Amino acid sequence: MREVAVIGVGQSVFGKLPERSPFELGQEAVMAALKDANVSPEEIPVGYCSRLYFDTAVSGQNILARVGIHNIEVVNVENACAGGSTSFRGVWKDIASGLYDIGIAIGVESMTTSPIAHKMIPPGKEDLEGQLGITMPAIFSILANRYMEQYGATVEDFAQVSVKNHHHGCLNPYSQYKKEFTVEEVLNSRMIADPITLLECCPNTDGAAAAVLCSMDRARRYASTPIKVAATVLLSGDYKHLNDDMLFSVLGSKAAKMAYEMAGIGPEDLDVVDLHDAFAPEEIFRYEELGLCPRGEGVRLLNSGATALGGSIPVNTGGGLLSLGHPLSASGIRQIVELALQLRGQVGARQVPNAKVALAHMLGGSVPSLDAGACGIEILTT
Amino acid sequence: MAEKVKFPVWEGTFIETPEGGILVGNKCKACGQVFFPKARICFDCFNEDMEELLLSRRGKLYSYAIGRMASLHFQPPYALGYIDLPEGVRIFAPLKVEESEYEQLKIGMDMEVVIEKLWEEADKEIIGYKFKPAI
Repeated sequence: MREVAVIGVGQSVFGKLPERSPFELGQEAVMAALKDANVSPEEIPVGYCSRLYFDTAVSGQNILARVGIHNIEVVNVENACAGGSTSFRGVWKDIASGLYDIGIAIGVESMTTSPIAHKMIPPGKEDLEGQLGITMPAIFSILANRYMEQYGATVEDFAQVSVKNHHHGCLNPYSQYKKEFTVEEVLNSRMIADPITLLECCPNTDGAAAAVLCSMDRARRYASTPIKVAATVLLSGDYKHLNDDMLFSVLGSKAAKMAYEMAGIGPEDLDVVDLHDAFAPEEIFRYEELGLCPRGEGVRLLNSGATALGGSIPVNTGGGLLSLGHPLSASGIRQIVELALQLRGQVGARQVPNAKVALAHMLGGSVPSLDAGACGIEILTT
Repeated sequence: MAEKVKFPVWEGTFIETPEGGILVGNKCKACGQVFFPKARICFDCFNEDMEELLLSRRGKLYSYAIGRMASLHFQPPYALGYIDLPEGVRIFAPLKVEESEYEQLKIGMDMEVVIEKLWEEADKEIIGYKFKPAI
């Protein structure tokens, strides 16, 4: 396999943007990524596009046609919230294998114009647990209650994740929310599923993101600072999680281990992390799965300030899903945007000094009896 | 008015006996792995020879949550949880607990299965399982 680099990234602003079509959002992200990469539309031979909720098929072609990219290989993918990671990996595989030298990965979602706008994600008819009343916030509340019992965490600890990520979001011009909150304000917001409150849930968001990938041997023609894709992993869930300690995802830790092996590094080498924080308590579980701290010590890591900007391993520097927002299929690519810019030293007030190694983590979808549909992890290095 | 027709929430997941409801899973005849709901083949060893297994009526509460937003069929508030049964399966179920008793829910407490109406549709009643604190 050949070495692959990210040579350009771009995103639309994230927010509730029902007046803007998803194709227009995608166009904005693609144009920004091409400009950033200094690549012209006719140089792109392959594009992958992820989207979950749509009324018009072939989103990738609809977006690329708007920027003058025609007659190329376009693949549309769906992998729930890991859709972006999947589209990124698709382009990576095509370049690493030598099939193409350059390509673009796109993720787009318009939640406010989707059939589930203003709702929680509904379960399918084939989902027994969903029929019985399980919802995404309820799952994470069940885990949060167990975590409090097992490790002595408090609701204030969980709220601190939201406080941190909203603080980071204030420093990001693309984020949906630019508002600081106190622990008290987070806890006093509307209860969604005890102990998770509204400000501990990711919002419904519209947005798009794109990344231009290129073989490393050609990357320097375009970019002064090509960002190396040191690892990509995409893994489906394990049915046995229900018999295990549900606070420690075997899927997440296995995917992380594979990514570290592929990159030839360990969690101690990471400078910045972007992970799936759909619900505030979740961020603490992910610290442990990714090996940022030992099992059961996630709260200690959070409260040490290590995962905030200025700490030793800042997490969700762009605001995370909680503050930056979560257009499902776009988030995986949006993480690549944030981390590539971090490694290039171009994110201003939220810059992690001398960041050289970054990790992105996304989870996608629920399958009855599996801990998650998909876990996508990428490691980027300068 | 004609009585509504009763439908199970999921075919083959429970039976009703004079002693109370019983959940029905299955077990791999080769490796002994237990599944609920029943698995078509063993996910562990891919053996297709499975036998039905009546599960214990009592288990322990692994953890729980109180829903404050409507789910597909339930209006808030409602309690939900996972129950660990002695056969080694963890089961998600609505919890039969009054709002005034939410404070009494404790991780590790003994729970017991009940079969009852979960919700109504136009011409049918959906019957399924819940767990309630065991006395």
